[in-house]
Amino acid sequence: MISVDRLEKSYDGFKAVDGISFEVESGQILGFLGPNGAGKTTTMKVLTCFMPPTSGTVTVDGLSVTEHSKEIRKKIGYFPEHAPIYADMNVVDYLQFVADVRGIEKAQQTAAIKHVIEITSLGDMVQKDIGELSKGFRQRVGLAQAMVHNPDILILDEPTTGLDPNQIVEIRSLIKEIGKEKTVIFSTHILQEVTATCDNVMIINKGKIVAKGSPDQLMANAEGKGILNIELNPAANGVLEKLSALEGVTGTREGKDKNTFVIESAKDTDVREAVFKCAVKNKWILMGMNYNQTSLEDVFRQLTE
Amino acid sequence: MNTIFALMRKELKSYFNSPIAFIVIAVFIILSTWIFFYYGDYAFFDRGISDIRGLFQYSSLILLFFAPAISMRLIAEEKYNGTLELLVTMPIEDYEIVIGKYLYTLVVYAIMLLGLMVTPITVMLIGEPEVGVILTSYLGFFLLGASYFAIGTAASAFTKNQIIAFIVTFLLLGVLYLIGGAVSSGPLAAIIDTISIHGHFENFFKGIIDIRDIVYFISIIALSLYVASTALTSRKFLK
Repeated sequence: MISVDRLEKSYDGFKAVDGISFEVESGQILGFLGPNGAGKTTTMKVLTCFMPPTSGTVTVDGLSVTEHSKEIRKKIGYFPEHAPIYADMNVVDYLQFVADVRGIEKAQQTAAIKHVIEITSLGDMVQKDIGELSKGFRQRVGLAQAMVHNPDILILDEPTTGLDPNQIVEIRSLIKEIGKEKTVIFSTHILQEVTATCDNVMIINKGKIVAKGSPDQLMANAEGKGILNIELNPAANGVLEKLSALEGVTGTREGKDKNTFVIESAKDTDVREAVFKCAVKNKWILMGMNYNQTSLEDVFRQLTE
Repeated sequence: MNTIFALMRKELKSYFNSPIAFIVIAVFIILSTWIFFYYGDYAFFDRGISDIRGLFQYSSLILLFFAPAISMRLIAEEKYNGTLELLVTMPIEDYEIVIGKYLYTLVVYAIMLLGLMVTPITVMLIGEPEVGVILTSYLGFFLLGASYFAIGTAASAFTKNQIIAFIVTFLLLGVLYLIGGAVSSGPLAAIIDTISIHGHFENFFKGIIDIRDIVYFISIIALSLYVASTALTSRKFLK
C-alpha cells in the first residue's frame, strides 16, 4: 500500500506539489490526472525515491521513501516520462542490464526477460538498437524494463504520450491486464484513458488534489447537470423567459451560435419533451436539439481552470 | 558488487557499439607510437638509446586530451538524456554507479595500454632495454591515466553538458600537470611539487617505485570518485 501524507515539494521556492495526501491500496489502478505542470511527475519522482520530499511523509508498505529508499526501489517498476532509455544498446542487452542491476538470479533472467518481451510484444525487435526503434516500441521497452523484476508496484508517467491510436489502445489494455495483479499508478492528461482503465482517479491542479474517487463517483459529485442545446429558426422574442418557466429547467442562456439556446436541468431530469411542447405551443420552429450529461471532461475543466 | 560490474558491462557494450570507440583508441595508439619513434627531442630513431622513456613523456600529454574525451560522457550524457533518473531509481547506490562507470574507463584505458605494448616490444626486438624500467614505467603510466579518468568522472557528474565536462577536466588536468616546475624554489615550490602530477610520475620512468607517489595517485582517484558520488547524491540535498 502506498500512503502519501501532506507531501510538499518545492523547486527554488516554487511549490510544484502543495500538500497532497492520498492512499493507494494494493492491486488498484490509480489514474493521475491533471493539466501539464500540475505536479504529477514531481509526485512520481518522490514516490520512486528519485528525490526526497520537501516536507510530508511518503510510505510504501510502511517503509519511508527517505529512510528505506533501496527497499522501496526494489518493489517499484518505474517508467519515467518520455521513456529515457540507452539508445546505443539493443533491446535484449538492455533488459539483461536491468535484470542484472535489479539483482535477478542468472538462472531466472532468461525467463523473466522472455516474459516481459512477450507481454509487450517486442519479439521482433530484440536485436535492434533502441535508438532505431519507433516511439511506440521505445515506450514498450520502457514498460518492459519496468516489469522485468515482477514488481508489486508500477509507476508509469504518461505511458501513452506520443503513440498512435492503435498503440494507445494496446498500452491501455496492457495496463489493465497488469493492474489485475499489481498496484499501478499512471499519469495522463487524456481523459478517456482514466475512464477506460482506472479503479480510481485523482485530479491534481497547481500542486493540489482537486478531486478523487472512482470515475463514476467523480462525475456524480461534480455538479451533475443535464445540458440541452437547441436551435430555433428564427429566434422569437421572449424565448429565454418561456423556457425558464418550464418545469425542471434550472437555467437558460443564449448559446454561442446565432439562434441557439442552452437549457440546463438537474441531473437525470430530461426536459426535452417539455421543451418540444413549449416550442409547438409558441409556434417556434425547432431546428435541432442535443442533450448531454456532464462528462468527465467537463468535470476536469471545471476543476482545473 | 554485481551491480557495479553490470554497469561496467553496460558501458562497454554501449561504447563499443559505435565505431568511435575503436577510432579513439586507435588514434591514441598510433599517435603515441609515431611520436615516440619519429618526433621531437626524444625521437627513438634519432637518439639511438634503447629505452621507452619518450613514449610515456609524450603519451602523458596526449592523454591530457584523450582522457577527458572518453570520460566526458560518463554521467553527463545520462543526465542529459534523462536515463540517469531511471538508473538511480533502480536499487543501486550512487557510489556503485560511479565505480561501475569508472571501472569501464579503466578497461578502455587497459586496452589503450595494451596497444602501446607495440613500442616496448619493438624496442626489445631491436635493442636491449631495461625490462624493469619498462615495467615501472607502465605502472606509473597506468596510475597517471587512472587519475586522469577519475578526475574526468568527477567533472562529468556535475553537468549534463559533455563539452563542459571535457573542458573542466582538461583544465584541471592541465593545471595539475603544468604547475610542476612553475615555481623553482622556496616553500611554495615544495607544495606545488607535492600537488603536481609531473613530480609524481617521473620516478616511475627512472625505474623507482616510491610509496609516496602511489599514495598520491590513489588519493587523487579516491577523492575524485568520492566527489563524483557526492555530486550524484546532491539531488537529495535539494529539498
